[in-house]
Amino acid sequence: MDQEFSLTSELRDMRLVIATSGYVNNVGGGAISTEFGRHFDTGVREVVINLAQSKVVNSIGMSFLLEILEKLHEAGGKLIFTNLDPAVEKMLTIMGIFNLAGKAATVDEALKSF
Amino acid sequence: MAGAVTLKIELPKIPDIELVALEGLDRLAKHLEIPPEKVGEAKILIAEAIINGFEHGGNDNDRVDVEFTIDPKELVIFVRDYGKGFEPSDIENPDIAKKPGGRNKRGWGLKLMESMSDDFRIESGPAGTKITIKKLLS
Repeated sequence: MDQEFSLTSELRDMRLVIATSGYVNNVGGGAISTEFGRHFDTGVREVVINLAQSKVVNSIGMSFLLEILEKLHEAGGKLIFTNLDPAVEKMLTIMGIFNLAGKAATVDEALKSF
Repeated sequence: MAGAVTLKIELPKIPDIELVALEGLDRLAKHLEIPPEKVGEAKILIAEAIINGFEHGGNDNDRVDVEFTIDPKELVIFVRDYGKGFEPSDIENPDIAKKPGGRNKRGWGLKLMESMSDDFRIESGPAGTKITIKKLLS
């Protein structure tokens, strides 16, 4: 079970797509937050986080995503999660994250919904 | 199909050590021919319980004991730390509506364990905290 965290990111028409792999813990959450911040500072306000390759997350990692949501909310932006494992989706639902963020089956579907 | 199996682990306080328990769960589930999707929520429960144990264990207590017993119908998770304990009713129920703008965005562990499990019990005192979680798998 390789749970080493890594991420990739790309910009598509000023929309940031972050794809993670591995365990989203404090380190993973921090890395997502840093990558987001780098693009937020250049004016990016629409973000997709693809968790297809992250089957295990923890609440500390998710707390970093709340910071991202807060920044986007204040700036009139939007965050959409995609490719969620059912267990991760349930966790985010219990936390109420979908009151502030969207969810989509795929990255393409998310990009169309902005 | 095999019967119930139990795994006991004493985890030292090092980063991401909860992944050792998750690896153990994967192997037990495979042995019992339980599909991976059935244990997805259980993995989150185990990770949260262990993280909670280390957080409440304090700096002077550097281990958490984990035991889980699994059969094709259910998983019982037992996590014990040796910290000073805490009063569960003193823990504020997190509300995401209050988190944006607030400094503390953490504190979700107990709510997640309670909400995602089929039975959740916590005993805490000066000698430490014991968490018992039951998760149905069928």
